[in-house]
Amino acid sequence: MRALRIGLLLGFRQIQRASTWTTLLIIFVMTLTFLNLVGVSGVLVGLIVGSERAFREQAIGDIMLSPRDAEKSILDTQSIVRELETYPDIQSFSVRYKGSATVEANYKERRDLSAERDVVRARITGIDTEEENETTNLEKRVVEGSYLDPNEEGYILVGSLTLDRYASGFGDAFDSLREVQVGDTVRLSTEEVSKEFIVKGVVKSKVEDVSMGMFIPEKEFRRIFGRLDRNADQVAIRVAPGVDESILKARMVASGMDTKADIKTFNEGVPKFLTDIKNTFAVLGTFIGSIGLIVASITIFIIIFINALSRRRHIGILKAVGIERSTIELAYVTQAAFYATTGSLFGALITFLFLVPYFDAHPINFPFSDGILVVETGATIIKTTILLVITLIAGFIPAWLIARGNTLNAILGR
Amino acid sequence: MIIARNITRTYTTGDIETHVLKGVDVTINTGEFVAIMGKSGAGKSTLLYQLSVLDEPTTGTLTIHDINVLALDEKEKTSFRLNTLGFVFQDYALVPDLTAQENVMIPLLMRGMDWNESKLIAQASLQNVGLSTKFLNLPNQLSGGEQQRVSIARALAGNPKILFADEPTANLDSISGEQVIDLLGDLHKSGQTIVMVTHEDEYTKYCNRIIRMEDGKIVKEEVR
Repeated sequence: MRALRIGLLLGFRQIQRASTWTTLLIIFVMTLTFLNLVGVSGVLVGLIVGSERAFREQAIGDIMLSPRDAEKSILDTQSIVRELETYPDIQSFSVRYKGSATVEANYKERRDLSAERDVVRARITGIDTEEENETTNLEKRVVEGSYLDPNEEGYILVGSLTLDRYASGFGDAFDSLREVQVGDTVRLSTEEVSKEFIVKGVVKSKVEDVSMGMFIPEKEFRRIFGRLDRNADQVAIRVAPGVDESILKARMVASGMDTKADIKTFNEGVPKFLTDIKNTFAVLGTFIGSIGLIVASITIFIIIFINALSRRRHIGILKAVGIERSTIELAYVTQAAFYATTGSLFGALITFLFLVPYFDAHPINFPFSDGILVVETGATIIKTTILLVITLIAGFIPAWLIARGNTLNAILGR
Repeated sequence: MIIARNITRTYTTGDIETHVLKGVDVTINTGEFVAIMGKSGAGKSTLLYQLSVLDEPTTGTLTIHDINVLALDEKEKTSFRLNTLGFVFQDYALVPDLTAQENVMIPLLMRGMDWNESKLIAQASLQNVGLSTKFLNLPNQLSGGEQQRVSIARALAGNPKILFADEPTANLDSISGEQVIDLLGDLHKSGQTIVMVTHEDEYTKYCNRIIRMEDGKIVKEEVR
């Protein structure tokens, strides 16, 4: 305790009397180390989490109902809808009908039957335009034209990647329509039925379900695809803020809804490969961050070593007047601890008060997702502890090397 | 009381051995003020380092207040120096980051005193050496003479049984040097045992014994 008290006094006085610029520089290095350690893996994981978040917000919601394994559609969808309307924990839900059709663009202008048709095979989703917008904010994804009006018929929203001008960057990965603008007429054909639609708008998103799909009002969908039983293919549910979806799911299961539909919370529905990629990126980020950690520990080692070496004589004097070696070592460890703690603190403040909210509001525009910064408190505490321990070791070793030397040699500088 | 017998000290650099002390016998009695004098290279500082347990002789025996200090391990030697000896170095040897008061307090705190107690003792000690207005000054805010007085205050604050001074006036002007020697003289009058290395006769005026060295041996002792 005595050694600790004096070691702390000596350590803090050294920090106090040190050059302000040098101290700031060391703290800056430690702050960058912290950001490197936490931020790199945070951005890599954020790539996937950003993608997941978009998928949750724009496609499947917090809970997704889909057909049970042996069924083609959700059984008795209308009774499910009536039941869902009674749940106060549900903020909104969207009943969707899904089908595949060809969509042709230049059929009116094409004079020669042997000329190439401008056609794509597209996934068509029949939606209640208002319910869908409440659940997934689809209207926000409209980049050209406007959103579907609930009172209109004969209009279609097309995903951006079904159009050449948006999909050209993807090469020949999939087909797209060449010269389609808002207001143009396209022909949607199933095996039995064809119907003309006017392109009302173009929706763009990094969620494939949106950007590669086409949306029409559910009434028209059911007529074209012959879905007269009104049994849907998906019900995306958005829960009210603060509601635990797993608890809500349990209630739905208890009510017997699971006999008509497969019920999955978002987390249950996330494909395993996404979770694996996320974990891989986390490890990769930690590995990259660890290189920064090694650099920082070497920096601290050099700083403390030079500091202790330049004060070798004072160390000898302290030993001569009766100060124990452990006390002197503690003084240098105190400095290292101060640099690591202050650097980490600044790093944490920058991360949690600035970077995380900033990237939440302004995600990084990656080609396949809007990346955010994911920083988990538990993992951050562990990484900070590792940073602190390594820094303490890096501070202790040079102090130990110098303090263990011969006292008289230290005093006489030989 | 210090009893040193047949003390030798040999430094080895590669194949070269340098015999700095060549069988020194010396006894310092309690209450004495002894000056060790000699030319550069005579071995006077090396003898002081052996007597003050800062170095270990190559051969010989050393007893201080009936303790065989050469049998102590490193930690015990540190503790022995802390509790029994005081040091005044040629170039003051103050910790530059600590105030005058804190420099004096450090060995007291190490002895286990609490902050307030050691602060009071440090202030009293600094007052005794005429630095009552400089408690909170850093070493670089003090003159050489003042720094040396802080060094003396630090050495004396713990009431050491023996005070060792290694050329305490070497870096001081004549007036400051005189003040420091007067201070040591006053301490001696109050019963403090002092062993001082110096090469200037004028600073031995308060000493009651002078040991003269040449080539690693004591060649003459003068008792006053």
